[in-house]
Amino acid sequence: MLEPTPELLADVLGTVLQDSAFIFAEPVEEAPEWTPPIYSAELAFESVRGGVLRLTTPPRGAVEVAANMLGIDPADPEAESQSRSALAEVLNVVGGAFVTRFFGTKVPSQLGLPHTEVLDAMPERRRTCVATLQLESGDPVMIELDLEPAAGPA
Amino acid sequence: MSAAGSEEKVALDLLIVDDSPVTRKMVRRAVSLCGLEIGNVHEAGNGEEALALLKQNRVDLVLADINMPVMNGMELVERMSQDTDLAKIPVVIVATPMSEQRVERLLDIGARAYLAKPFRPEALRDLVLEILGDRGSAHA
Repeated sequence: MLEPTPELLADVLGTVLQDSAFIFAEPVEEAPEWTPPIYSAELAFESVRGGVLRLTTPPRGAVEVAANMLGIDPADPEAESQSRSALAEVLNVVGGAFVTRFFGTKVPSQLGLPHTEVLDAMPERRRTCVATLQLESGDPVMIELDLEPAAGPA
Repeated sequence: MSAAGSEEKVALDLLIVDDSPVTRKMVRRAVSLCGLEIGNVHEAGNGEEALALLKQNRVDLVLADINMPVMNGMELVERMSQDTDLAKIPVVIVATPMSEQRVERLLDIGARAYLAKPFRPEALRDLVLEILGDRGSAHA
């Protein structure tokens, strides 16, 4: 069974940000230092293997994403009011892109509904794979994958 | 018909169904950029709201997501297919990439086409023209 890589996650997220929000984000090696509040979005999926995808970014990163998706100035109040919804939508598209790229389009797959939360600290979470991209503003956006173990032979 | 004899342009009335307000705005923006003559653009947050809107308004085309709370896009397509009046309105599923099996199922139950997110306005325009044929070209 193919195993996910940080490069795959970074490529899927980078492509979705480019195509959905016209943002050119670059992968970075260093793990970001998080200062609260932190915006996080989570999406469960089912396919050959189940799992969870998460996106995490500071509020300013989510505002940048929303502004670009909506074609408005980041200073526009709508960019801030829609920032969590934008993060959820990016994750939704990332989920579909990841599942079809990783498992293929021949097998059934199902995405849950994305939900967002505001964190006051970065929790220790189980994850199979992680990648961080830097938005054009310099803010980080981190993608995490927690993949259920592959079933063993019957 | 106009004085020049060309077909009179009649604006297309659309319904965008998606639980994400950002996505509804993005689709609305793509619609405005796609080069078609667009009239009223209605919005609904799920299939149930969409059915209520469809009973009250003239709509030429529905652009619907799949994953939505309350009533998802799959059930919306099924319900529209079972209704004599609503079955005539083409539904385009605008959703994240999905399995071939799921796309086939959607087309089987009555969806007219599937457009994967993210999409470019020209892709939407081409799809509308393909679905509405002569009616669509009158709007272009």
